[in-house]
Amino acid sequence: MSFTRKYLGHGVGLRQRHFGRWLTEKPAIDWVEVISENFFSRGGRPLAVLDKVRAEIPVVMHGVSLSIGSTDPLSAEYLTELKQLAARIQPALISDHLCWGSHGTKYGHDLWPLPYTEEALAHVVQRVQAVQEVLQRQILLENVSSYVGFQQSTMSECEFLGEVAHRADCGILLDINNIYVSARNHGFDPQQYLDQIPVARVGQFHLAGHSDKGTHLLDTHDAPVPDPVWELFQSALKRCGRVSTLIEWDDHIPELEELLGESSKAAALEYDVLGPQSIPEVA
Amino acid sequence: MTLAQTQAAFFALVTEPEKIPKGEGLELFVGTAELPAEERVQIYANMYLWRLVDALRNEFPKLAAALGDEYFLALMEKYLRRHPSEHPDVGLVGRRLVRFLREHPDSNRRADLADLAELEQVRSQVFLEADAEPIEASAIAALGPINFARARLRLVPALQLRHFEYEVALLWRSLDDEQPPPPPQRSPNEVAIWRKGFSVFHVVLTMEEAEALRRAMQGAPLEEVCAVYSHHDLPVQAAFAALSSWFGESWVAALETD
Repeated sequence: MSFTRKYLGHGVGLRQRHFGRWLTEKPAIDWVEVISENFFSRGGRPLAVLDKVRAEIPVVMHGVSLSIGSTDPLSAEYLTELKQLAARIQPALISDHLCWGSHGTKYGHDLWPLPYTEEALAHVVQRVQAVQEVLQRQILLENVSSYVGFQQSTMSECEFLGEVAHRADCGILLDINNIYVSARNHGFDPQQYLDQIPVARVGQFHLAGHSDKGTHLLDTHDAPVPDPVWELFQSALKRCGRVSTLIEWDDHIPELEELLGESSKAAALEYDVLGPQSIPEVA
Repeated sequence: MTLAQTQAAFFALVTEPEKIPKGEGLELFVGTAELPAEERVQIYANMYLWRLVDALRNEFPKLAAALGDEYFLALMEKYLRRHPSEHPDVGLVGRRLVRFLREHPDSNRRADLADLAELEQVRSQVFLEADAEPIEASAIAALGPINFARARLRLVPALQLRHFEYEVALLWRSLDDEQPPPPPQRSPNEVAIWRKGFSVFHVVLTMEEAEALRRAMQGAPLEEVCAVYSHHDLPVQAAFAALSSWFGESWVAALETD
């Protein structure tokens, strides 16, 4: 069992606000990430934009509603749509979150944390394997920002994530902002988290902004990447090497230029830390 | 406690906190002096509601403006309690809102808001519809008179015709101009909604033109479409003007003959 990292360079999210720009221009970016569900059952213009962009640069599919940790059965309808979209656009990567977000027939559209127990671990591993079987490819799971922990937990989030990746043979999408936010909210050391992550499983980085609410940090994706997250990103580069990196910005989305500027900053930091030489891919 | 039981308890605390006795279930969570477990769970309860209300505000910005923040939030909370999201795409959470507004009238709000919500929803749908290359009016000239009568228009997917009970276009305009909205005026009307490039438009049609468009959408041949104007003072001119404007607005994707 192994995971092969694909280095795509630096990307941004493909969002409706910029559809016109993507259709008429070819913005200077290596790849884009789309929210998978935004292209389910929609057809029409969004898919046409996606097809056009895909013809030019790699696309990564990032889901928010797979609900991999839910104790409800995996949704066959959801997986069918995911598979159909993947067949259409041949994404470079497919990812979702290490969390749950649905219960019964209802979707919370949030990334709810799991208790980090052996039961949850076995449950998630079995479901990741099932999803990968359907898709016939590996997926990546992202660490989420969280605001509450469970008394039942018997391991740390980092241990849980690493163990899921190892046992299910999947990749890790390491969200640097989420590490920082959760570290503040739960009082753990973000550097220690980075030190414990299984580097060979890391296939992508996310960078984003958050809001400081005083008693806690809220993962809002509505602002530039703040300095402490940039600093943690540099540590992550030192630890993991060159990893495909995305700027996430989902609310109060700025002009495309500002988004691209953030991505250029990430590329510049990567150059500063790792230099111009290509780092061998981690297998 | 099993994972399933833990998730059921968490879900209830987050999505229906008003139904849970205060303090119940909090022993599941880790809290700190700075941020007790109750407040931590409350963050998720707030986000659950805000995220969905935000999605509704994005789809229905004019409705939100007409209602004001406080009333919009209260009304959407009622809607979401009755119709929680059942689709992985949060953009579809408002698909039952128009019906909800029609089925739950409230004397405290304007009577034309369900029409407004429907217009906003159709505008969103039209924005997302598939592209189709429109054809020019000159395509008619190539048909000849006999083929013209039998020909059918294939209209672009990003075009819809809707019936409204209230003068919703006037309400829309006033909200768009950030002017005080006029009082609701009941006056049945037909509105065409379409996309051209990346812009969505709507216009109130005359009853004649709406009927002609409806026939065209149903695949009627042009002689039946134009027959709508047969009792008109200047029937040929009226039919010509309507058809010309449809081509001009890029509503026509093809002229099909048997």
